[in-house]
Amino acid sequence: MLARWLAALVAFVVVFLIGIVTIGNFGTGIDPDSFFDSEGANSFAFIGAIALVVAFIAYAAVEYAQTRSFASISAQFDTRTIVLMPIAIAINIILGATVANALKLPIYLDSIGTILVAALAGPVPGALTGFLSNMLWTYVVPPPFQNGPAAAFSIVAVVIGVLAGLAARGGWMRPRRSRSTGELAVGAIVALVIVVGLGIYAYTRFYGSTVELFVEDSAPIFVILSWLIIFIFAAIVVGFLVLLFVRRDLAVPYVTVAGVVTGVVAALISAPISANVFGGVTGGGTDFLVAAFRQAGSDIQTATFQQGLLSDPVDKLVTFFVVYLILAAMARRMKARFPQGELLLDELEPDQPDADDWRGATA
Amino acid sequence: MAGGDRLSDEARPARGIPPSLGRPGPTAYHRLNPLTKATLATVTAVGAVVLGGVVGPVGLVVVAVLLPAAIAGVLPQLVRTGLLLSLPIAISAFVVNLFFYPGAETVLLRIGPITATAEGLAFAIEILVRILAISGAVTLFYLTTRPSDLVVDLERRGVSPRIGFVTNASVQTVPAMVDRAQQITAAQRARGLDTEGSVWRRIRGVVPIVGPVILGSIAEVEERTMALEARGFTRPGRRTLLWSPSDSRTQAIARWALVIGLAATIVARIAGFLG
Repeated sequence: MLARWLAALVAFVVVFLIGIVTIGNFGTGIDPDSFFDSEGANSFAFIGAIALVVAFIAYAAVEYAQTRSFASISAQFDTRTIVLMPIAIAINIILGATVANALKLPIYLDSIGTILVAALAGPVPGALTGFLSNMLWTYVVPPPFQNGPAAAFSIVAVVIGVLAGLAARGGWMRPRRSRSTGELAVGAIVALVIVVGLGIYAYTRFYGSTVELFVEDSAPIFVILSWLIIFIFAAIVVGFLVLLFVRRDLAVPYVTVAGVVTGVVAALISAPISANVFGGVTGGGTDFLVAAFRQAGSDIQTATFQQGLLSDPVDKLVTFFVVYLILAAMARRMKARFPQGELLLDELEPDQPDADDWRGATA
Repeated sequence: MAGGDRLSDEARPARGIPPSLGRPGPTAYHRLNPLTKATLATVTAVGAVVLGGVVGPVGLVVVAVLLPAAIAGVLPQLVRTGLLLSLPIAISAFVVNLFFYPGAETVLLRIGPITATAEGLAFAIEILVRILAISGAVTLFYLTTRPSDLVVDLERRGVSPRIGFVTNASVQTVPAMVDRAQQITAAQRARGLDTEGSVWRRIRGVVPIVGPVILGSIAEVEERTMALEARGFTRPGRRTLLWSPSDSRTQAIARWALVIGLAATIVARIAGFLG
């Protein structure tokens, strides 16, 4: 047991160091104009994701060498999970292809199935669902659903699955209905502080001086873009407060933070792939954002980060809430039969006969 | 695919899912082991990215995509599907890079506030060649290989039958789910849902269509789980395959040569030999 984790840790550190030495470095310093350490920031998240996958392979290899089986991993894959995975992959591919090809929206919506499996079954099935979704999307699924760039981004889908699975394992996807206004207010403030903090980090680090809202005599596209950004953020804040105080569900801040954090991590990993492999162009609605940021004077690397940090958090936020609503619509009996399903049940409802007293005491 | 509803079961064979395994392919290239073709496609796609520039990827496309496609007799289909697939991304790539390339100085054309630059054009062509190489390599693999053949072959090499099931079932679930969405759309329209009005009305129509599609699919999990368990799906140990795609020592050597060649190219690229 110890040997497996040790092997995983060693593999992670070795791959991460090799990656930093050969591809990226942190030694270039921060550019005083944009506060943006472009060389270092470009690749560290991507290298970390690769190192994570290698560490997992090392863990599995040691387990196989010790026991001739993958028992601790395959235990997370009961028959029910295996049956859900193809459905989740189909949801990913169909919705993703519709959004990218037909609707041309600047978001993706291609990880609903991944996050659903991760919530119900755990991080490893979630990661595998994400990986297989993107690989099958490129190599196996027939046109018109086929998507050439998807396979290059499969490592992003792996990390999304892991993060969503960990969030659900921590009970973040569990409904917490009928809480007191005080609790809801504290939850709302904590979530907003985290989200705004991440927003400030992203803004100072990646937008710096290159993008300003409502600059004098700027091209029409930037006025539209600025209004769009403000509109989206206003809609998110309003929707957040409405969901929180109308449904009185304390899960809303948890799901929000999980979605935004996953989105930021996904953006940091996917931007170098998008920039270096595809020149920032992947054929979806996000291309227009990249074009706009480049027109504003960013190079490709920066423009893909700017696009990703705008698209991904919004996208993952929407996706996490869609999954949360799907889970809420599923029968409790069905959820509870999945490996991680018990963590998705409302903690107040079933097994506590004195739940009403507890509620009365705090209200 | 046990437990699917009757309508989608009837519609499925018309969707191009191979009805039987074990049919030999029409040409020698079709009859290559699926893993060999998959390796070639991956190495071509990654190689085009690693080589960079224009000459390298074009050479790769001619040698590793167009030539095999001609041997397999799928060249017209390949060109049609490949171009169709890469058209949206190609248009984006051209527009984005031709007009919005920062720091470019050589102006080719000026239309109002936007300018087309020579540097942008050169970069757009480079990206375009790369995208064509990737989509060509993948399309060649797709046109000459049945998904189930690849799955059976991977299973023979020791990949878990569970992964095999997930892969095969995903490929079959995509068209089945599209059929289901069409049925539900028709059903909701019969109840008065407006799917052709203004944009806002169509957006409001998404929920009553997507909701039942997803929840209905998840509700099927129960039946399928029982069907699989009743057939011994969770039994441990290796399965006996009645048929698997042929393989040869030559192909195994070729696969390893391709992978080692790619690794060498990556090392050379990182070390700076290729500029």
